[in-house]
Amino acid sequence: MFYQPKDIQKALGLKAELKERGAFLAGGTDLVVLMNHGKAAPENFIDLTHIPELRAIHKHNGTLELAGNVTYAQMGKLPIRCLARASLSVGGPGIRELGTIAGNLATASPAGDGSTALLALDAEVELTSVRGTRRLPLEEFFLGYRKTALAPDEMITKIFIPTNYQTDWAKNGKRGAMNISIVAVAVAITPKKEVRIALASVAATPIRCYQAEKFLAKNGLTTETIRQAVQSVRGEIKPITDHRASADYKVHVSGVMVRRLLESLVKQ
Amino acid sequence: MKTKACHPERSEGSQSFGRRRKTAEILRSAQNDKSGKGRLWSLKFTLNGKKVSAQVPPTRTLLDFLRLDMRLTGTKGACLEGECGSCYVLVDGKPMNSCLMLAPQVQDRDVTTIEGLAHSKKLDVIQQKFIDCGAVQCGYCTPGLILAAKALLAENSHPTREEFLAGMEGNICRCTGYNKILRACEQAADAMGLKK
Repeated sequence: MFYQPKDIQKALGLKAELKERGAFLAGGTDLVVLMNHGKAAPENFIDLTHIPELRAIHKHNGTLELAGNVTYAQMGKLPIRCLARASLSVGGPGIRELGTIAGNLATASPAGDGSTALLALDAEVELTSVRGTRRLPLEEFFLGYRKTALAPDEMITKIFIPTNYQTDWAKNGKRGAMNISIVAVAVAITPKKEVRIALASVAATPIRCYQAEKFLAKNGLTTETIRQAVQSVRGEIKPITDHRASADYKVHVSGVMVRRLLESLVKQ
Repeated sequence: MKTKACHPERSEGSQSFGRRRKTAEILRSAQNDKSGKGRLWSLKFTLNGKKVSAQVPPTRTLLDFLRLDMRLTGTKGACLEGECGSCYVLVDGKPMNSCLMLAPQVQDRDVTTIEGLAHSKKLDVIQQKFIDCGAVQCGYCTPGLILAAKALLAENSHPTREEFLAGMEGNICRCTGYNKILRACEQAADAMGLKK
């Protein structure tokens, strides 16, 4: 069956009833691709594209609230550098109009560009079901390779982002467009001068490099401390060799990218 | 632009796609048969300015619906994973990959395909410039590229070359005639009196 609820409550009611037998559908950039490649369609679809409130962006006391179906095209216009640049690095214009931030989080790809930018921003996700609402730091949302904390009856309804972080983003891929990351890096400096470093495609999920972050928080950002933090990053990540690049290359280039981003942030 | 001497069996419908396409099509229709049981979606939307109502299997992609049900074969399918842009249509004016959308998702929306660009037999200026500049080789990517350009020019009235490249980055031309395509788009922008 195909359901097209007009509000969140109806969608949650359906999901509570169908659980794993009902799949949320928004951009279709994962689900429909799999179907096109011959994978069986889910038994039931709950189409979320006709729920206007899931497209909303609000600002409250310095926190940006993105509803789940905010698209990459929308995020590309936000004044948050790492998220905007990550969003504009995804696919082409057609994909950016379709793909949504909740979809990017829920699919939990190790190469998730939006997810990585949000990790560096200390984003929090709001998970809603008919049972109620809970709020989770994004770091606790990713549990493993394509595994998340999302319960079978829950929906990602909101993402909360601070607006006062200084951030930047870089992506390494095979082409200038339509690019899946070989490695992508998001960095941020918080108002308290703490550092956030998040990377895509170097582990089972997008990850933060906590040791390097702690080291920099303690010792400050100088050419020398950045060099040492880069060594730490290279030790913390666990990339695999695949058809995109070798593990050795990913370790090397991750360090180069982190160093360049941090150096440019210091100069700003 | 229509080729008259087209191979009859390959001229329309799903047969014009490659082997992977066929496999996906077969598997999907099998799936429909199993779970569908005549449960069709009553689709109502605006297609190229006209109100359309149709009964459609909900797992049918917008691309398939346009080509197989509406017989609008200007919209092409190639990669079926959003990489190539040959299936672009405009939904409420925004470019979208119709191979990644299920037909019911355009309920109450306004869809424009390449067939909807010309008005009273007069080609859209972008279409005309593609012809004038020789920006068409095999032609398979052309509808998608023209719709990408249409969307870009609607949002950005005077794109720079960089902005043109970004606006067209979702479309692949395997004849690689990109320079002429770019020239056609820039001339179209000029002709529309939009470019500064």
